[in-house]
Amino acid sequence: MFRNLSITLQIVMLVALYIFLYMPILYIVYVSMQTTAIWPFPPDFTGEHYVNLWHATDYHTGFRNSLIIGIGTGMISSVIATMAVIGILKYRVKGSKLIAGLFLSPLFIAHILIGISSLMFNKTLLGLPGNLFSAIIANATYATAFAFLVLLAQLARYDWRLDEAAMVFGATPRRTFREITLPLVWPAIFGAFIVSFLLAFNNLEISFYNLGATPTLPTLAWGSLRHGISQELYALAALINAAVFSFLGLLYILIRSGVIRMDFKD
Amino acid sequence: MSDTVLTLEHVSKNFGAITAADDINIEVGQTEFFALLGPSGSGKTTMLRMIAGLETPDTGRIVIGGTDVTRLPPYKRGIGMVFQDFLLFPHKTVAENITFPLKMQRSSDTEKAEHLQWVVNLVHLEGLEDRYPHQLSGGQKQRVALARGLVSRPSLLLLDEPLANLDRELRKEMEVEIRRFQLELGIPFVYVTHNQEEALTMSDRMAIMRDGKMEQVGEKFSLYHNPTSQFVASFLGSPNVFSGRVSAVDGEIATLDWHGHAIQARAHGGLKPGDAATCYVKSEKIAIETDAGEMSGEIRDVIFKGQYADFLVLLDNGEEVTVSSSHRGQLVKGAKTHIIWKPENADGFPAGE
Amino acid sequence: MKNNRLFFWVLTGPGTAFLLLFLILPLMSIVVFSFWRTESYHLYADWNLDNYRVLATNPSYVTFLLRSLFMASVVSFVSLVVAWPVAFFITRYGGQFKIILLLLTSTPFLTGEILRVTAMQQILGPIGLINMALTTFGFDPVTALMYSKTATAIGLIYLWLPFMVLAIHLSLLNFDFELLQVAKVNGARPLRAFWEVTWPLNRAGSAIGVVLVFIPTLASSITSKFLGGPNGALFGNILAHQFGSTGTWALGSAMGVVLFVISLLVLYIVWKSIGDLNRSGITIKGGAE
Repeated sequence: MFRNLSITLQIVMLVALYIFLYMPILYIVYVSMQTTAIWPFPPDFTGEHYVNLWHATDYHTGFRNSLIIGIGTGMISSVIATMAVIGILKYRVKGSKLIAGLFLSPLFIAHILIGISSLMFNKTLLGLPGNLFSAIIANATYATAFAFLVLLAQLARYDWRLDEAAMVFGATPRRTFREITLPLVWPAIFGAFIVSFLLAFNNLEISFYNLGATPTLPTLAWGSLRHGISQELYALAALINAAVFSFLGLLYILIRSGVIRMDFKD
Repeated sequence: MSDTVLTLEHVSKNFGAITAADDINIEVGQTEFFALLGPSGSGKTTMLRMIAGLETPDTGRIVIGGTDVTRLPPYKRGIGMVFQDFLLFPHKTVAENITFPLKMQRSSDTEKAEHLQWVVNLVHLEGLEDRYPHQLSGGQKQRVALARGLVSRPSLLLLDEPLANLDRELRKEMEVEIRRFQLELGIPFVYVTHNQEEALTMSDRMAIMRDGKMEQVGEKFSLYHNPTSQFVASFLGSPNVFSGRVSAVDGEIATLDWHGHAIQARAHGGLKPGDAATCYVKSEKIAIETDAGEMSGEIRDVIFKGQYADFLVLLDNGEEVTVSSSHRGQLVKGAKTHIIWKPENADGFPAGE
Repeated sequence: MKNNRLFFWVLTGPGTAFLLLFLILPLMSIVVFSFWRTESYHLYADWNLDNYRVLATNPSYVTFLLRSLFMASVVSFVSLVVAWPVAFFITRYGGQFKIILLLLTSTPFLTGEILRVTAMQQILGPIGLINMALTTFGFDPVTALMYSKTATAIGLIYLWLPFMVLAIHLSLLNFDFELLQVAKVNGARPLRAFWEVTWPLNRAGSAIGVVLVFIPTLASSITSKFLGGPNGALFGNILAHQFGSTGTWALGSAMGVVLFVISLLVLYIVWKSIGDLNRSGITIKGGAE
């Protein structure tokens, strides 16, 4: 009786949390398809905001820039995080905890600090103007922490003795990586790339301080939000949400259907 | 040995303060089944990893087939290995797992197919070639692991506790099978285990290790019946332990005073009168009789095991001794009994080693 | 093996260098800048303590900082209370749906702060869903939700709660739920069992979750800007301001240093409060050997 009550309460909390998390998202998707943003009931569907978004050229530039930042950050973060996680998990040497701490440290540093410190460091000490490149670098610092976390959680279950077995059977270290390690861990690396890509693609604070006038989708959204209601912005939000959810949905389906195998044990 | 395949010369290895191997010397011959037996932490797995090339010795030499491989990485040693927990590649089929060593040697497809055919028949895996490891039973995985170790017809096969994860029934079956493969192929097997039954069943010769040291190396019968090290005497079989003081030494035989009884054992380690000594007698080497014997007592309990039974005998001096013998009707709980053993079936060592 | 050290550094070296160069070094540099002076959008290296004097003596900065600290405490606490039952349910009863249930709590995080605040504004604001629904059906609107600190708090919880769920979930993954059965067999009621067994063994998860929510909340500026209204500015807004129109970078650096030091302090306090890791349920997973 008491046990059921406790579980019921947990389920209620879970459902309430999902409503809390998703109602705003679903509502904004809904609003983006309505003629008016203020109390759009009864519904009056329209696609005009999406058409307007399509024709808004600054959003095109913003999208391209966000994409560049996302892909650049995703590649840097997933590569250095993969190397580090393999190094830490495979060769358990002294000091590996300290290094792991360094890789996770951006989780405990506010974005605004990363943003302003790299802005001032680049400009004052290096004399470099903010540009897409410096935005990629700054985003990659904290996106690496997330990539590292994703990989650490997955690869902690990887059995490195499989690599040893391959070496005994004649595989060079390079061959071992290609034949054994990579085929088994690439879903985790891919997941780390997706996460760091999305974080950088959608980041506002770090990109903003590093880019100055160069627009990205989040900085455009920020500017648009300052000027009040803009249903193109809602259409953009709807599209980005859809993209994020389809990315992760796809990843999930691939794992579930066994196309990607996430278990390293036989 | 003229047909020596594997030689370890003065091999030592330390991990920080831990000595995993201390001046180890081993020779393994062409058709030998060699077991490395020891409790966990004794360094036997490190030994195997050094032979495989997964660890490098601090000092000493390892020679395989006449070539010094001490500094050679594992992938240049051309040996086969069967790992604990099998370590099959989960993303490769049975056939791909088995032919992996051939693929690494860049063998032709026909060669791969021939070897696969041969080894699949040898280990009885017919029809499972296209399965994935997760679709196999424990015994089948074990066979795949063996097949992968043997497929390239290596000059040497290393086995690291390969049966540790199988249930008892299957283990018995595989013990016989593994021994059969070794005899059929005529290559040396080096087999690491902490299970003395496995080692005694399969091996020709064995080495017993403790704390990185080689306690004794030799034919398994010799190790079992004539231990020269106190650890080996206490480790193999399930010996009774008697502690006493040496009252006399007559040639090879020492006499101990044990709680008022004079017991006899072969003297090791320079025992002399007055020394404190520990004496080991394997339980099946003690005779148990109802009518006559040296020491008398009464049966406190009988642990029936089928083929034989363990009799727990409480001697008149208050000490307990376990005797393994065939089960007989008159040896029941509470029966008066006598026990006796031959001096050459007991081994006495200086105490406190 | 000596080779192990070499391979370890070959693999971790690039990332370590990257983070030291592009994260740690810039962070250290703002400590330096905080002792400099700004004049007409330029930093001058004449060393002084003026920036810190201004921060300590000007009551408005202190007020903003206290307000942010209070906000961060409330948001962390509410997140903790909400996240626990959710994380517990997902880990304990999620079964084969564990991953999807968890993904559903964290995916919105990946859409970025600005879009999430945008969505929240459409719900909470004066013309947002809640208040429009209330007025449409003849009720009074809830003013507490319109451009207020409450709205900011709700928005911040909305942003950072996923971190809390994730942290507690990761901790619970290493928790042996059988221990709860043992506690119950020994006579503990469910709540008591939770308090005596689950909570202490997962302190580390709660602590990490609190830090992960507290630190970004303390520095937040976007949420309060769009949900907090004219009187809702937080320390982060004032900090951002120094890098915007006023261009007083040195003062901004000092504010950044203050934030950073408080973050480290919180991290330290929380870390100390976990105590002995061996008794807090964190298991360092072993590999070969």
